[in-house]
Amino acid sequence: MNRAATISIAFAAAGAVIAPFMLKPFGIFLISMWAVLTIAAIGLNLTLGYAGQVSMAQGAFVGIGAYTLALLTQAGVPYPIAFAASGILCFIIGWGLGYPALRVQHHYLAFVTLAFTTIVFLLLRNEEWLTGGIYGVNAIARPVFFGWSTGKAMDYYFFCLGVLTVIAFAVWWMLRSPWGRAFVALRENPVRALSLGLDTRRYTLMAFAIGSSLGGFAGALFASLVQFIEPASFALNRSFDLLLMVIVGGSGYFMGPFVGALVAVLLPEWMRVTEGYYLIIYAALIMVMMPLAPYGIVGLIERGYKALTVKRKPPAPMLTPERTAP
Amino acid sequence: MASFIQLLVSGLATGAIYALIAVGFTLLWQTSQTINFAQGEFVMLPAFFILIAMNYGAPFWLSCLIGIAVSIVVLGIAFKYIIVDPMLKHGVLPLVISSIALALFLKEAVKDFYSSQAQPFPVLVEASDVHIFGAVISSQSLVVLAVAIATVIGMTFLLNRTRLGRMMQATAQNPTLARILGVPVRRMVLYTFLLNAVLCAIASILISPIYLAKFTNGETLGMAAFLAAIIGGFNQVRGAILGGVILGILDNLSAAYLSSQYRAAFPLIILIIVILVRPQGLLGRVEERTV
Amino acid sequence: MSAVLEVSNLRKSFGGITAVDGVSFEVRDGEILGIIGPNGSGKSTLFNCVLGQLQPTDGEVKVDGKVTNGMRPRDINRLGVSRTFQLLQVFPQLSVRDNLILAGQEHQGTMFTRLIGRSDAGLGPAADQMIEFFRLSHIATEMAGMLSYGQQKLLDAAMAFMAGPRLVLLDEPAGGVNLTMLANLRERLQAYHAERKATFVVIEH
Repeated sequence: MNRAATISIAFAAAGAVIAPFMLKPFGIFLISMWAVLTIAAIGLNLTLGYAGQVSMAQGAFVGIGAYTLALLTQAGVPYPIAFAASGILCFIIGWGLGYPALRVQHHYLAFVTLAFTTIVFLLLRNEEWLTGGIYGVNAIARPVFFGWSTGKAMDYYFFCLGVLTVIAFAVWWMLRSPWGRAFVALRENPVRALSLGLDTRRYTLMAFAIGSSLGGFAGALFASLVQFIEPASFALNRSFDLLLMVIVGGSGYFMGPFVGALVAVLLPEWMRVTEGYYLIIYAALIMVMMPLAPYGIVGLIERGYKALTVKRKPPAPMLTPERTAP
Repeated sequence: MASFIQLLVSGLATGAIYALIAVGFTLLWQTSQTINFAQGEFVMLPAFFILIAMNYGAPFWLSCLIGIAVSIVVLGIAFKYIIVDPMLKHGVLPLVISSIALALFLKEAVKDFYSSQAQPFPVLVEASDVHIFGAVISSQSLVVLAVAIATVIGMTFLLNRTRLGRMMQATAQNPTLARILGVPVRRMVLYTFLLNAVLCAIASILISPIYLAKFTNGETLGMAAFLAAIIGGFNQVRGAILGGVILGILDNLSAAYLSSQYRAAFPLIILIIVILVRPQGLLGRVEERTV
Repeated sequence: MSAVLEVSNLRKSFGGITAVDGVSFEVRDGEILGIIGPNGSGKSTLFNCVLGQLQPTDGEVKVDGKVTNGMRPRDINRLGVSRTFQLLQVFPQLSVRDNLILAGQEHQGTMFTRLIGRSDAGLGPAADQMIEFFRLSHIATEMAGMLSYGQQKLLDAAMAFMAGPRLVLLDEPAGGVNLTMLANLRERLQAYHAERKATFVVIEH
């Protein structure tokens, strides 16, 4: 598996580098969007897929990051500082949003984060003095580094790809460190984790904060990519979209967000022929896919690969013990 | 004072509709761990079933009956067997995703195949004003209130006073035990789906004359149902009723007395407070977890 | 020899039901203490109170002379107390080896050094040793969820030893395990006891 995975990742990486040279400007815009959304989805995959904390707030963090970058750069703050601020602010707010997760789980947590998303949307829309209200913020700058301007589509794509690479590596490192194991433990059995000495509180908050900060970085990139942001871009639908990306790609799989974001970006373009019916077909596809492959595309590939290559005897049946009262 | 009574009555009317939606929502959660993110769309859709029937020339009352019947088939039976049942073994989250997709599907289907414009919907009674204690109250509010209360009473009677209802409650509270006691659990689960469909259809008939029938109606209604269910208590039918009423009144009062910009945020803040302070909801019981 | 664990007058009631009523005992260093009783007699509740999963209604628990009432399970674990559970509590989506490393990693370094340090938190050799000791080598890379019940039970016990505990509380280690596996488990526990001089409290019915 490892060898096959390495080879396919190498091919995909080469593809990501070559692609912009073969695409028209709109195509480059799309793959830039893919890189941006992948970062946000990696963050959500960390919170939801690995640590098992349901969050419907990732879209809101993308929004907070985008507005932070847009407003700070327009106030004259240098780009690198504004960019860092987007992530840091989301880290802090995400840490705060993690506190409800210490008290409630599952659907309750889903609704707290959903409420948070709606409140952020209302703030962005109503606080005109700060955010420009429904008119949004426009003419958002793209950064210049040591004379390298990312103003052109291709340059900006490589900037996004670079950020994605750094973040992907950092997350990969974190997931293979003891932290990754601790996050999975949090998802699978918090009670047992606690009895093994895990500080489940701190890991839960970390999972939220880091996942949210990646949403913030994605938002910062998003702002400079589209150069015009408005509250509606960060309403509940954005959070749902990111959630779908993570699930469709394969939640809890490292490569899941990459694939999920790719599907989310390319599918609407491929289905242009269907004209207005794109969303219906998309929704129907998800409904068909969920019962067949709830572990997502990457999970499906992994299972398929295992079934093809490893001839193994079926696992010993799990005996359930007589459940006795304590 | 007069305007306060006015707001209170219209708040009660909206709240009663929310309660109907929220009750169905909690029933589905209890019997099959379904968090139906399409619940709002389930209320949006029956209005269009009725409009289609009327387009074929059926009178309004007959169209309503047809609408309820089609809702039972589509939102009750088809929803259970096609969407929910195949997902149950995969846990809560994949089903949440499916229901989000279903919501999108229904919304887009109405937009593409019926209309993206708000459609006028017949009222149950001609609009006229009723004067009570100097307050002017629309007859519509009163009729909505009456129908909603009658539905709630009927449903409470069904759940608490009939054999069938007790079997449904037993299924909701402890399916394993209910099965051992000879309750046909599978059929009872199906009945809760049918009951949910009927409640949604009635809510649709009540609310569509006010909001007009539009494909986006489900967004706010679904949110209201979640809020009501959580504020009142996710595992209690009467909690959902209380939550719906509280929400409806808050909605109307806050629109009148608070900044209308943040009207939508007000119930959300209450939701967050309730979840943090009393996660089981105002009337809910703590769901026990084993170590 | 001093007492590793002292329980005095421990009481725990749930509403009107008193599950544990005035239990006192002490376990000395290197001892194996068995607690026997029928189902529902409060054995697991006793464990949960000792380990901080439940707060006792009354009475006192001391580990190495230090009162642990009110401490969180993870802090009690840090004092060198670990446990197994009556119902299976392994992490099904982690490999056997990762389950073991997880069981010891929080005792190594700080949050920060665990992030930037080695992937196995320096516990790889210890985990491999434990895998060999409990004869799990042939399934070391399998997901724990794929193991048979008896194997998971062995893993569960092995995890309790990863942090090198001084006191291990075993909650029905033999429950639901077939005889061959049970002999294996018993032998391994005895061997561990002989080798490390750890103190055991075992629940069985």
